[in-house]
Amino acid sequence: MRSETGHGWANAALLLLVWEIVGRLDLVAGGALPGITEILIRLWQDRGDYPAHIGATLYASGAGLLIGSTIGVGAGVVFALWPTMLRLFRGVNVAAFALPPIALAPILVLTLSGMAPRIALAALGAYFVVMTATVVGLSQADARTIDLIRAYGGGRWQILARVQLRGAVPSILAGLRVGAPNAVLGAILAEFGGGGRWGLGAYLLGSLGRGEPDRLWGIGLVATAIAGAGYLIFAVLASRLVGVTRAVTLNAGLPNTGARVGTGRRMLLGAGAVLMPFLFWWLFVRATGVPDLVAKTPFGVVDYLFLSDTAARAQERLLAALAETLPITFLGMAAGLGFAFVLAIASRLFPRAIEAFMPVALVTQTMPLVALTPLLVLILGRGPSLTLWVTISVTFFPAFVTLAQGLSLVPKSAEELPRAYGASRWRELRMVTIPASLPYLFAATRLTVPRALLGVMIAEWLATGQGLGNLLNQSRGFLDYGMIWSVAAVSVILSVLFYQVVVAVERYTLHRLGMRTAE
Amino acid sequence: MRAPDGVSVSGVSKTFAGRGKVVEALHDVSLSCPAGSFTALIGPSGCGKSTLLRIALGLERADAGAVRIAGDAPMDAARAGITGIAFQDAALLPWRSVRRNIAVPLEVLGRPTSRLRADIDAMIALVGLAGFEDALPGELSGGMRQRVAIARALVTRPRVLFMDEPFGALDQILRRQMNVELQRIWAETGATALLVTHGIDEAVFLADRVAVMQARPGRLVEIVDVPFARPRQKSLFTAPEFHRICDEIAGLLHAF
Repeated sequence: MRSETGHGWANAALLLLVWEIVGRLDLVAGGALPGITEILIRLWQDRGDYPAHIGATLYASGAGLLIGSTIGVGAGVVFALWPTMLRLFRGVNVAAFALPPIALAPILVLTLSGMAPRIALAALGAYFVVMTATVVGLSQADARTIDLIRAYGGGRWQILARVQLRGAVPSILAGLRVGAPNAVLGAILAEFGGGGRWGLGAYLLGSLGRGEPDRLWGIGLVATAIAGAGYLIFAVLASRLVGVTRAVTLNAGLPNTGARVGTGRRMLLGAGAVLMPFLFWWLFVRATGVPDLVAKTPFGVVDYLFLSDTAARAQERLLAALAETLPITFLGMAAGLGFAFVLAIASRLFPRAIEAFMPVALVTQTMPLVALTPLLVLILGRGPSLTLWVTISVTFFPAFVTLAQGLSLVPKSAEELPRAYGASRWRELRMVTIPASLPYLFAATRLTVPRALLGVMIAEWLATGQGLGNLLNQSRGFLDYGMIWSVAAVSVILSVLFYQVVVAVERYTLHRLGMRTAE
Repeated sequence: MRAPDGVSVSGVSKTFAGRGKVVEALHDVSLSCPAGSFTALIGPSGCGKSTLLRIALGLERADAGAVRIAGDAPMDAARAGITGIAFQDAALLPWRSVRRNIAVPLEVLGRPTSRLRADIDAMIALVGLAGFEDALPGELSGGMRQRVAIARALVTRPRVLFMDEPFGALDQILRRQMNVELQRIWAETGATALLVTHGIDEAVFLADRVAVMQARPGRLVEIVDVPFARPRQKSLFTAPEFHRICDEIAGLLHAF
């Protein structure tokens, strides 16, 4: 173990050294990547600016994390106790997982005031992972211990209090570990999309036009450090409390409670699950009391897109934006997944490489996407290649981590059997490793669907001036409220739809192949 | 010295280094299994019996000494289709049907599976799984999966059969049934068999000779002959002479 950590440090030091040399020599896009010391010097020069921005981001993400994870644990307990509720809330949960937060930022700013939009988006970022972790943790409790409590006459609450909640602590902490960086990303996205003076997102937005790579990198690194610190706090807490830290797992699946219900009830619950997010939407708009002109209910959006005088024009603009956004989303996602797949398979052949690469992958995963995009703009410019690379970079790493961790679970003996009959490494990969990776490929796809759309929309919003992201940004400027809500609704619905398609294909394929879904 | 279809292990040593510790997994182990014999390898965890098997399969390299299978180096014997292998966990590929799992060694060896389909089905019948040809591993019980693993080990008509605790995951009752069946199947093939096991009664019931190993360093301490006539009946499990040999081996295992 010690020698492996030593190895990691050596790799990190080497990486920093290469960075410094490349930066000092202005090798990347004429100085778009400054040396690490140049960035640190600039950070020191800007030190007066940072406290207020960091304070605002920390406040929003901390409050959001607290609220989001409280709701997440509460909802997790409810879902674990009453599986019917999990079915009923499926639509809401999938939407919470799959929605691109950037699309929500403008509508939250329209309906809430002050820090509330940031806190809400941060809370949303934390909710899903914590909720899933809670349900999984509660349902993983040892069946024999539960039987023991039951045998002594204990009821459902006794079991929950004495066995399940305590047993779920490691899982919940693991959820918080992923939820914390998510909350930071949510807060920064809201700062970005919502205006306001303070916050790292606002700082980044203000510095964007000035062509100062060292400052942008500084902000990006600080944002990454905050997100990483959130991850670390819960990792340390988990190892203190529970004595174990498991490898990062990014859960992209809704927990399955396995309860069977009749067809009629299932249809009813399915319909409820579809309607529930719209009900929440309607209730939210009504509860905020914002006038109809600004805050659109689902009926308002239908009216805007299909019934009003400007409907034809609105549809036209929306479809044109979709035609720009969707192809590059799929292309980027496919490329990101493809790279991840090839590299994960290759890392089976060269296991040392994966060890060196994993820390880098984990750091970039905690790097907030909004901080990454301006940096890529510096390197790649504002063309479509930027969108593509943003999408690849946000899909590649989570997909790679999921695949690599999945492949490490393939039983050794399954791989050794062909080898013992004299099979080549390539044959072994084809026969065992590649087919065995299929469940993890699906899990990685589920994970990357929403990230890909988010990546494309951020790139469009910030840099390329195309597609849905740009339409959203433009509509803010034109105070075209109907379009803001329409883009938000359409992007969320599309995300959910793609996610559902992947889940359906996954279930069908894996069932046919006699394989189980990877978590 | 060289047995044409047997296994000869001569002076094999193997040391693992890791985490600042050096473990001598095997220390100068020599063992000769004549053609058609059934040898059981027994010993406590960490005595190197699985390492020895892995060396014999060519999955691990010996530091000193050599294993010869029918006169060949392990990998050459494997590529020639002389060896058959059954691992501790059945190691079935969950996405392949019973028939296609059994076909794995044939595919690796480049033999035409289509022409050998009758062979595969005969093997499935031999292990008592007729009717389950197209079932997926997930639909089978633990005992059935082990039978598939045995059928897969036999499908190449190996002259040497290696088994690493093939029934380790099964309960005692099922295990004894499988032992009786394995004896019948082995007798039909006439292969040289080497069985690695934790179970004393399993070793004594199946083997002509039981090689007893000890740990730290892993070494061979004794070879116990088992004189019972074949085919051995289930009633042997309760015979006094059977228990005498079991006790003798138990004594060897606890003696050090």
